[in-house]
Order: sequence, then C-alpha cells, then structure tokens
Amino acid sequence: MAGGRSGMRGLQNNGGGRLHPAVGDLVDQVLDGTLDRRAFLRTVAWLGVSVPSAQALLGVAGCAPASAVSAQRRLRFVCAVQQITDPALTTWIEASNLFRNSLEFLTEVDADNITHPYLAESWTPSDDLKTWRFQLRQGIRWSNGDVFDVDDVAFNFKRWLDPRSQSVNRTSFAAIQDFERLNDHAFALHLNRPVCSLPEQLYAFTCPILHRRFEQEGGDWPKNPVGTGPFQLTGYEVGRSAKFRRRSSYWGERPKVEEIDYIDLGPDVATHVAALAAGQVDVLYRVTISELDLVKRLPHARLLRTPAAHTLVMRMQPDRKPFEDIRVRQAVVAAADNAAMLKFAYRGLGVVGENTHVAPTQPDYAALPPRPRDVAKARRLLAEAGHPNGLDLTLTLGNTQGRWEQDTAQVLQQNCAEAGIRIRLNVIPPAEYWSVWDKTPFGLTYWSHRPLGVMLYDLAYRSGSVWNESRFADPEFDHALDAAMAVLDPKARAVQMARAETILRDRAVIIQPYWPEKFTAVADRVIGHRVHPSDYFRMDRVGLA
Amino acid sequence: MTATRNLGAARTLAAAGLLGRRLASAALTMLTVSLLVFAVLEVNIEGVATKVLGQFSTADQRHAWLLQNGYFDPLPVRYARWVWGFLTGRWGVSTYYHADVLALIAPRLLASGMLMGAALLVIIPLALILGVLAGVRQGSVVDRSVSFLAIVTTSVPEFASAVFLSAIFVFWLGWLPGVSTLAGGASLREFMLPVAVLALSSTGYIARMTRASMVEVMAAPYVRTALLKGASIRRIIFAHALRNALGAPVTVIMLQIPWLLSGVIVVEVFFAYPGFGTLLYQASVNSDIYLIEACAMIGVIAVVTSQLLSDLINAWLNPRLAPALKA
Repeated sequence: MAGGRSGMRGLQNNGGGRLHPAVGDLVDQVLDGTLDRRAFLRTVAWLGVSVPSAQALLGVAGCAPASAVSAQRRLRFVCAVQQITDPALTTWIEASNLFRNSLEFLTEVDADNITHPYLAESWTPSDDLKTWRFQLRQGIRWSNGDVFDVDDVAFNFKRWLDPRSQSVNRTSFAAIQDFERLNDHAFALHLNRPVCSLPEQLYAFTCPILHRRFEQEGGDWPKNPVGTGPFQLTGYEVGRSAKFRRRSSYWGERPKVEEIDYIDLGPDVATHVAALAAGQVDVLYRVTISELDLVKRLPHARLLRTPAAHTLVMRMQPDRKPFEDIRVRQAVVAAADNAAMLKFAYRGLGVVGENTHVAPTQPDYAALPPRPRDVAKARRLLAEAGHPNGLDLTLTLGNTQGRWEQDTAQVLQQNCAEAGIRIRLNVIPPAEYWSVWDKTPFGLTYWSHRPLGVMLYDLAYRSGSVWNESRFADPEFDHALDAAMAVLDPKARAVQMARAETILRDRAVIIQPYWPEKFTAVADRVIGHRVHPSDYFRMDRVGLA
Repeated sequence: MTATRNLGAARTLAAAGLLGRRLASAALTMLTVSLLVFAVLEVNIEGVATKVLGQFSTADQRHAWLLQNGYFDPLPVRYARWVWGFLTGRWGVSTYYHADVLALIAPRLLASGMLMGAALLVIIPLALILGVLAGVRQGSVVDRSVSFLAIVTTSVPEFASAVFLSAIFVFWLGWLPGVSTLAGGASLREFMLPVAVLALSSTGYIARMTRASMVEVMAAPYVRTALLKGASIRRIIFAHALRNALGAPVTVIMLQIPWLLSGVIVVEVFFAYPGFGTLLYQASVNSDIYLIEACAMIGVIAVVTSQLLSDLINAWLNPRLAPALKA
C-alpha cells in the first residue's frame, strides 16, 4: 500500500482519501534523487495530490501569498480586443485573457506547469487512469446570484463533446466517453483509454466554465457576461477596450486591484512600449526581441522573461517534390546551423533546438545524442539524390510573430547556400500565411507553448491530425507516441519519448532551430505579474504599489 | 449702375456654371474610383466569401453564402446594387469588428476630423506668418532661415518624424504621452505629438509657397508705388500685398488636405489614435472587405470635396480667376 511507506508521511489528496498507487513509486524516486522535484510535483498534482503537502514532503516552501497592497487602483493592460461570442470557440489566447477575469476553469496550471485545484477542489483518478472523479468547490455563486453546481459543469461537457460541436475541445477530449453526475457537487468522467494529464488539459483556454443557461440566454458572452470569477465585465468595444470591475461577492481571495482596463493599441509593439514609457499603461502583453534594448533602458519599467516551449518549425512535406526523397530533407537538415540561427536571429537568447520539437523544459523531454552540423554530408546527400549542381527551394513565411521569423529564415538561407541549396524566401503578410500554413511544401510556422511534448506530437505529427502541417505519417511514430501518452512515470515516459523523438529526427521533416525566450514588460509599480509560458494571466493576483 | 448689375449677374452665372462643371467632374471621379474599388475587391467572389466567412469555412458554406447574397448575378447588376447600397447608407457589416460599417466609421471620421482640424489650426497661421515674413525681404536672414527650416522639415516623412519626436519627448524627456488613445476623453497633451508630426511635414511646404507668392507680389508695380509714396511696410502688407499673395497658398492648403489624410493614417497608427486612419489600417490588415470599400469611398469623397472647396475659395479671393478656371 502506497500510504504505508514511511516517506509518504503528510502527503494527502486535495479532497482527502486514498492516494493513487503510482504516488508511492514517484515519492521513492524523488527522495532518492532520481526524479526531478518539479517533474514530481507536476505528476502528483495530476493525480489529485495537494501541492502544498507535496512541497512539505520535499521540504520546499511554496510561494508565500503576496502581501496586501492598497486596492483602490486601476490596472491598464495592453491587449488586442477582438470579438468574442462563445468562449468555448475562441481561437486566440488574447480573448481568453479577457474572459479569464470573469470565467473560471476546473483546474489551474501555473507558470511552472503545475496543476492546482480551481473550481474543482479535488480529483481522484482510478488506478487504471480511465475513471476520474471530480469534487467541486461549494459555496460559489455566479455573478447573477445563481449557485454554481454540477449542472453547470455538465452543461459545458455536454456542449464540448457534442458530435456537432465546433469547439477544439471535442477533439482534445475525444477519450471521454461519458459524464456521470454523482451528486450536486461531484461528477465522474469515464474514458476509453488512460490519459494521465486530464486535469492539466482542463485549463486549456477553450475550457472556461459557462453558466448552464449560457445558450438559452443568447450565447453571446460580452452581451450577458455572467461568471464565477473575481471581476465583472463592464464594457466591451472591439478594437478599443474591455473594462472589468472587481466583484464584491467573489468566493476566492479578494483581487488586489479594483478595475482592469484592457486597451487595444494595434499590432505594433513599439507603440505599446511608448505607452509604457509614458506611464499610460502598466502591463504589456509581450515584448519581442526588437524592442528588448529599448525596454531595458526605460527608467520606470521592468523586463520580465521566461523560457517557454514555443518555437519556429521549418517543415518539409515528405509527399511533395523534391522532399519525397529523404536525402534532400536530410541534406537541408544537415546544412542548417541551429546555433547560428539562435545567435544571429534571436541574439542567443534561448536554447538551441535539436530538430525534435520537445523542449528541455518540458517534463517528458528525452535528451538524444547530439548530431552536429555537417555541410560535406549535405553536399554528398544532395549529389546522391540527383542534384550534383545544387537545388532551388522556396521557403514560405509570414512573420506572424515579428521580424525574427524572417531573420531566422535568412540565416538558414546562408547555411544552405554553403551546401549548394539555394533557398528563395517567399515572405507574405501574417494573415495570409495562416491560410497556406499547412499547404505550402516548405514553410516556416510558429508553434506556441504546450506544457508537454506529447501534446505537441499529438497535434503536429500524429498521422492525419488536423494540425499536422508537415503531413508526416509514420505508424512507428504513432505507436511510440501512444505508448508515451499512457505512461505516468516521467522517467519511463521519457524513455518512450526518446523513441518518438529519434523517429521524428531521423525522418528529417523539420528543422526546429531554437527555443526563444519569452519577454514582456510591466511598470515598476506592478506587483506579482509573472510571464506565463502559455500567456495565461491571472490578474486577480496582480497588484499595484 | 445697370452695367455694374449686369456684370454682377454675369459673374454669378459664370460662378454657377463653374460650380456645375466642377460638380460633374467630381461625380465622374467618384464613379471611376468606385468602379476600380469594385473591380479590385468584389469581382473575385470566391475571395469575398473567404474574407467574410473566414479561411476555415468550407466550399459549401461559401457557395451557399454567395448564392444567398446574390453574388451569382451579372456584374453590372451587382455593381448597381453595390453603388445604390453605398448611396443609401447600407455599407455592410465589418467582419473584424462585427458592427455596422456606417456606425463604425462616423465617430472615427469625427476623431480624424478633430486631429486634422487641430493640425490645420497650427499649420495655417504658422505657415502664413513664416511665409510672409520670409517673402517681405527676399534674401534676408529671416528668409534664408525660414527656407532652410522649411526644406528640412518637409523632407522628413511622417513615419520618421513620429519616431524622432517620440524618442525626444516620450522616451528621453518624458514630457508627453506616448500614445493618444483619447481613452479619458479628448486631451490636449495627447494631441500634441500627432499634431506636431503633421504640422512638421506640411508647414514648410505651405510656408515656401506663401513666400514665393509674397516675393512676387512685393515686386509688383503697385507695391513699389506705395513704397515710393512713403506708406509703412505694415500698411503695404496688410492693405495691398496679403490678399493678392494668398491665392496660391489657399490652393496649396486645400491640396494639402488629401495629403494630410494619408499622413493621418501613419500618425494615427503610430500613436494608436482612434481615428479613420487606424480603422483603414486595421481593415486592410484583417482583409475586412466592406470596411475597406467604405473607407476607400470616403477617401475619394474627401479628396474631391477639398478640391471643389479650393476652387470656390480661389474664385472668391480672386474673381478674375473665375472664367479662367474652366479646366
């Protein structure tokens, strides 16, 4: 029995009750030093173990709550304000950062990728990880006065899983077979295959819990902004601003600011920085590498940074000419100098990528033996493939995240020129890129952060996945991925991931040059704002000095 | 007496004829531009459907939408319907803002009008004063410095002067706000930088035109006569030279309005000013087709109207010009 071990003393589930049997092994591993502490926290958190009790076991202190500050203030946040109707259909993360002030989730994933209770106060997976029981927090009221209970949650799961649902939740929760109402504040999810990261997935930005009459009452959230969250929407003007005011009857800890104004200043980050310099705004959504020096020199602002599993992927579709010959793809990959791309296009601020699309910061990362750049090999492969006089390629890109995409492509262009591969850059407007991103044979695409490598693999490289832009299809890879997804133990999962990573790298469909750091900036007086690798911001914990 | 009255009537007639011809040519210009806008944006109906329904729409959805909205009718029918819709204020719904285009544009036009008005309030007096001062004594130190400054400022484009001014007054000195969102209502401080950028690029040009015109007038025989008769320079400028020297600058100022309209786009986007310029910019970035169409038509109306006004003011300033303006 897991609970019988001496090292487990004090470890408990959020809702009490029996610990999952896998917890014992994880504790042994972390105590004898073979498992990284953060990976341990992440994994036991999925299994419903209380994070403070796990931190106490490790002898580390959790974050002390920020000290109370004067709360009579208004926080101003630069953020694109685009149209929202149904939050479950949101396609851009900025929108979720608006409704995140009023709508809440069953779980919360913090900036360290550790899952915490939120509207669900505890959860218990069955031993086979196929049945998950969730206990909801009691005593929560909606902003319209209704009591929050299991019927609200049932309504949301029903519309996510509906076969006609247009929400991406339908595919990400495809494993859920049944939602079972246990009582007014408890439910169970029955899965057809084990999924260990289910609680983490419930914090995806398309999973806010809406009121049970959301559809009956118009289905247009800004027009009828009912929520359980700390703030109430008081004004919404697309392209201009969104305004929130603190709710006095919020169930959780009182937010530190009275009002939040989101201001849309257009797409140019330099303009946002000017507003910060002049003290007209307090928090920027992001700062790109181009504005970095400017921000560092601002007297009353602070630069915030974090590593994140977001990256650029230059992928070659193996079913399109001339990429159907693996030697051509291998030649391009061998000629590419990932370290040079990081150094010249992103000023070295990040970690060099290994063409595997799994980041060292992700818990399921497995290190592979390094494979250095080899221009002679690239030339040889190219000649073998029947291109002794070199090869002409066109790389399409849209600078969707800014100019550094093109800078990276230009370094690749020079790298490849050394091996006789002549790359023409086809630069198109950002909006246009998203209409061809999965169609162009050779394209450069930005991939945002995902907490786990398996999530990226499931989305981008599984055969037939909707977002599989490289059209990579390999049964062996899919098999390795399935195996990795079912493993709870981080080290055992990394072994499975090493297989999947090796296959992806050997098939040479992507160049994934580096993992750029993420930046943003805030005014000096802002307290408690953290850059979240997924850009999920909880503003009720942010205060003003 | 009768002769004078007849002359007056003839002049009124000539002015009315002029106005009529001008209106006709303005209408023709607008018609041509509307044809161009229609040809560029509406002829490829598959493109229209993709822009309205989004890139993730299916071919069936697009076909149904096109059918429902009469896009399979003959081109002339669709063009006529489109023009009629524009004339009657049915400008469609913005795909990005999800709001009626007319309702969207009206407050933005007002905001841009305010910005341009403020800019003109600075530009006109400044340019006329500098131009007159420089033109009174050709070759003087004042003349040379004004001309030098005018050439320097005119040659710096708005996007550059916006960066310079903001580097100095926002980042270095910290005196002025970096963006002009008018979030707290119209604010003088927020107007300063955008107006300064617009003024910087236009004042020099108008000042040089005024100077040239003034130099010409100051060399005219009647000014020399007045000088010889011992009239004060102040009297000469205000009583004789100014009115005659203003014709050219007025034309330039009116021609400057369409030019300002394009400068306003750069300035508004740079300072996040909630005007017509940012709206047009957002519309083009997001392929917001009906908004782009309406903005293009508004732009044409603004240009044509300012030209019309320029002709009328000129005719009023110098009645002799009226018959010669037949172009």
